[in-house]
Amino acid sequence: MKKVTHRNKTSPLPYRDNKPQGSADFYFAINATFRFILKKRGASGWISYLRDMATDYYRPVWTAWREDGLPAVATYLQAAFDAEPQAKFEIAETKETVTLHVIECPALKHLKSAGREIVPEFCQHCYHQYGTMASNAGLHMRLQGGNGSCTQTFSCVAPAEQNLNEIHPVL
Amino acid sequence: MIGTYDFCAHYEWTFAWLEAAGGEQLLQEYWTDAIGEDAQRHAAELIQGQGFEGMMKYWGHTLAEESPEKGYHMTQNPSVVRCDMHDCPSKGFLIKNNLQQYKDYCDHCIAWIRPVVERAGFRIDHEHNHQGQCWWEFREQENPSPASETGEVSGHHDVRHLPHWPQKEHDRFPEKSDSVKSL
Repeated sequence: MKKVTHRNKTSPLPYRDNKPQGSADFYFAINATFRFILKKRGASGWISYLRDMATDYYRPVWTAWREDGLPAVATYLQAAFDAEPQAKFEIAETKETVTLHVIECPALKHLKSAGREIVPEFCQHCYHQYGTMASNAGLHMRLQGGNGSCTQTFSCVAPAEQNLNEIHPVL
Repeated sequence: MIGTYDFCAHYEWTFAWLEAAGGEQLLQEYWTDAIGEDAQRHAAELIQGQGFEGMMKYWGHTLAEESPEKGYHMTQNPSVVRCDMHDCPSKGFLIKNNLQQYKDYCDHCIAWIRPVVERAGFRIDHEHNHQGQCWWEFREQENPSPASETGEVSGHHDVRHLPHWPQKEHDRFPEKSDSVKSL
């Protein structure tokens, strides 16, 4: 695969669309993609997919994090969640952390309201994705909660190891 | 969070990842199973249950969400449903952001749509130019009519009227003698 190198210098989002937000029905495809890879490649294959995407596809994002530190993380999270339909969230910053409180996950809200079967591991994807991006940037990310609301903490000081069992499965 | 805002871009990246992981066969299974039968099962339900009306409802909703600037036109008459895509929001996103990991992003549409509509008793004529323009015609499988001539079904909305329609390499389904590939 080609290395993704493009970076949008005018926005915290690496790629720009004409629309301010994405279409919620795309969550159907994201969930279906997880189910397909879990079925065909198992949990380790799915984690590899997420980590590869985090490292390659999201390279412009974590490169900015590595260059500009936690303020770039906060700026990106604000823009990324603003661009998701019906996301309810808050971001808090301290000198050593950025904390994303997902009050209502837009993906799980849409999938549940549409009656879709959601892969139980769904909420772990944020950890594998953002955790890898943070690690690539010399930062750390931990996730608590799940199943519709969670707390994601990005820090420059090494925290305790992530316990994946503490990320709630989707019920 | 893997989001919807840039969905088309990480979706396209995923094509290349799957091809690298399991070859073209895994990717084809992904389009058929994960997209056609899982993600887009609402499309299958509408088309199987309501035929042409279901197609109009599905694409009417989906394209209105993805392309609020209405870069497309849907036409329905008693024997055919036709879609003229003048500015594909999906391929357009990739072009505008200069993104390409997989060799032919446009392949994904025919790959998931064709099994869905064929199961419902319809067949497809389709052509795309890899620049965000394409057309689709859906007819009942018993209908032997060939694909329409330019303007015959959708009048001035026919994408083939566009001056830039001929640009780049075209793919045509089913394959014509002058086309370059088929599934």
